[in-house]
Amino acid sequence: MLVFLVRRLALSLVTLFLLSVMVFLGGQVLPGNVGRAILGPFADQRAVDALNHSLGVDRPLLVQYGTWIWNFLHGDMGTSYIFRAPVAPFVIDALGNSLKLALIAFVLVVPIGILGGVIAALNLNRPLDRIISLGGLSVTVLPEFVTGIILILIFGVWLRWLPIAAAWPKGAGFFTQIYYLILPSLPLFLVLFGYIARMARSGMIEALDSDYTRTAVLKGLPWRTVIWRHVLRNALLPTITVIATQTGYLIGGLVVIETLFRYQGIGSLIFTAARGKDFPMLEAGILTIGIVYAVATLVADFLYSVLNPRIRLGAEQ
Amino acid sequence: MSKNYRILDLLRRGRTPLENHLIDGLVDGRLSRREFVRHGSLLGLSLPLLGRIGMAAGFGATPSLARAAGAAGGTIRVGSSVPAAAIDPVTIADAGGLLVMQQVAEFLCVDGPDLVLKPALAESWKPNADGTVWTFTLRKGVKFHSGGEMKAEDVVASIDRLADPANSSNALSVFSGILQKGNTKKVDDYTVEFHLDAPNGNFPYMVSSDNYNAVIIPASYKGDYEKSFDGTGPFKLEKYTPKVGASFVRNDDYWGDKALPDRTEFTFFTDIQPQILALQGGQIDIINQMPVLAGVALLNDPNFEIISLKSVAHQQLHMHCDEGPTKDARVRRAIALCLDREKLAAGLMKGRAALGNDSPFAAVYPSTDTSVPQRKQDIAQAKQLMEAAGLAQGFKMTLTTERYLEIPEYAQLIQNWVKEIGIELELNILDQGAYYGDAVFGKSNWLDSAMGITDYGHRGVPNVYLAAPLKSDGTWNAAHFKNKDYDQMAASYIAALDLEAQKATAGKIQKLLLEETPVVFGYFYDYLTATAKGVTGVQPTAMSQLFLDKASKA
Repeated sequence: MLVFLVRRLALSLVTLFLLSVMVFLGGQVLPGNVGRAILGPFADQRAVDALNHSLGVDRPLLVQYGTWIWNFLHGDMGTSYIFRAPVAPFVIDALGNSLKLALIAFVLVVPIGILGGVIAALNLNRPLDRIISLGGLSVTVLPEFVTGIILILIFGVWLRWLPIAAAWPKGAGFFTQIYYLILPSLPLFLVLFGYIARMARSGMIEALDSDYTRTAVLKGLPWRTVIWRHVLRNALLPTITVIATQTGYLIGGLVVIETLFRYQGIGSLIFTAARGKDFPMLEAGILTIGIVYAVATLVADFLYSVLNPRIRLGAEQ
Repeated sequence: MSKNYRILDLLRRGRTPLENHLIDGLVDGRLSRREFVRHGSLLGLSLPLLGRIGMAAGFGATPSLARAAGAAGGTIRVGSSVPAAAIDPVTIADAGGLLVMQQVAEFLCVDGPDLVLKPALAESWKPNADGTVWTFTLRKGVKFHSGGEMKAEDVVASIDRLADPANSSNALSVFSGILQKGNTKKVDDYTVEFHLDAPNGNFPYMVSSDNYNAVIIPASYKGDYEKSFDGTGPFKLEKYTPKVGASFVRNDDYWGDKALPDRTEFTFFTDIQPQILALQGGQIDIINQMPVLAGVALLNDPNFEIISLKSVAHQQLHMHCDEGPTKDARVRRAIALCLDREKLAAGLMKGRAALGNDSPFAAVYPSTDTSVPQRKQDIAQAKQLMEAAGLAQGFKMTLTTERYLEIPEYAQLIQNWVKEIGIELELNILDQGAYYGDAVFGKSNWLDSAMGITDYGHRGVPNVYLAAPLKSDGTWNAAHFKNKDYDQMAASYIAALDLEAQKATAGKIQKLLLEETPVVFGYFYDYLTATAKGVTGVQPTAMSQLFLDKASKA
């Protein structure tokens, strides 16, 4: 087990390093340069050159990357070219905000999604199954900006029950923050619900149809015990993987939701950094998401291997 | 109304020949009152004096621009775009950032909504005989938020900082070839002289709000503006959070009338749609700048008011004059003749735009020669021109442009219109970063594309539009237009101090550009600000500034 996890951890570190190199090289391909992005297309070239020099972005690429990675490994995320301020507080704040939003979406969607899938599977091909499956599929394919705007129009503009902007006032307590996060978390709920419910449903159908379930039933175990002990444990394995992979999306891929609800998450931070060629911010933001993704995958692997020993044995062999 | 020559004589006393020539223009009917007021303000004549001259010349009282004062107190909440970079008067270049900076810092003079220059930190200004030296008299008793009086050395340092090529100044392109570092000189504590590289009849605009970097901050400024947010304005910073928002409180030490609101609050948005929803949801009171297509839902909604300013902002359609089929001026004219400008203004821009006549001289400029005929859609003539150029069968070409405001829709309309004369346009619509690229020839889709559409913001005078995109050595000459006659005319327009001389040259430039058509100026769009009903006294400018000292809400 330990060897399995250590191997996975080492692989994650290599992936993160390669990611940082790719982001850096990718950033160089983007058109324009930092000075031009800050001063705009109509600025005098002498001013752009002076700014690029003062920011150090006219140094050789290897020097720029080397300095950055050296500082990063020593706990310094660098200074933003655009904001002329340390990157770390921006990334930490944004990550915290994204985690809050993701957590609320997860807390809502994971139990309800799994429950929906289980109910659908237990009512296979009956109207309830069709409602959950088709309904889930329909809301999943709707883009977040569509559901987001519809929800804003209903709850923010017409009814005025919920705040449109997710930025809560400074010093807001736990419940106030939750109140501000309800509206932005709903489009995420709708996107993920159908996905999780479908995975849970198909896992359940497979498990219900398996030999061990039939054996458990024939042994005369009560239906509830069969479902809890035998079916669910096996049925939820693929669902866990799905949830883990969605973590990365929820932390880093929420640019649309963050834009729509004026939420200061890490997705929008990276987006603006990429547009402005703010390399230290871009690197730190993407690596942070990479780290979250790696941790989520490790946790999923760990849970998977606990639930399914064959995986663990396969890896160790 | 009759003219009162006795009073006119009194008012003429002590005036320079240039000022008296302007007064003659009004009295003789060569200039309209609007042209007289605008140009008089440029020469540094005060608005009350211009009003008195207008009355004596038989025009009646000048309508007061002052709005009825609303109730004091309360917080005015504004939605704006996110500042794209650190707030710094020297480097700042984006609407969101300069809006925040302008809340605390002021200019020597302000280019108002009617394009009339109004005194602010300078009480008056005047040129020497040939327009190479402009002398500004500063207001006394103006205090910085950090303490200390604003004096000539602060003005000298603020402008020198912007004119210094070593300082990454965003205003360098404004001052380049006009004012060099070291040529802004203190005469005494309250008098500053600007010694220009060449005569310039419109110089005061370059140190007005028209040059959004030209705010006056203390001479001791060393950078890191976000730590001080120092200035002389009617509001002081309360709190600034990058990417989130800013708030300001009334400055009780202000030199002028104290601001009405207790506080103002700015919330930053990365997109316009959330701003519109926030205004509809009652979470903000004002959207500082609203593109017309995005704001269609608000335009006719009685719950909101739209402040519409005539501006000179436009989308330039350039065509390479040195290669390909558009090398022939007849082809360029044919393309320009395909555009239905009335439809552009009424349909695409929902009536919030003025027609363009293929030169930067918009109707709102007092120097524009309005007798030059307006170019209209004429497909038959366009076909004749194509035939004369030997291209009756048409040709294929790529139109490269940026994804910004209504430009993609504008490009599609052009694509459809030119089909009628056999031109097949392929659209290449890029992200703004990709379109502008490094913004130097050889490394920019904007400057290198054979045909392209580029967004240009508002300017109180046409100098920048005349020079950078159209002069042979212009830094933004995307059309690769090289014409010695034009270069001379543009230089002579820029140097002219006298409005009538400016008008005469403007007419010649307009005719030359209609003939050559290196750039199609289809329309000039209005600058729109949306407010919730009951919000009064809000004063935007087409340069994305927003003056809130007289704002109040019911």
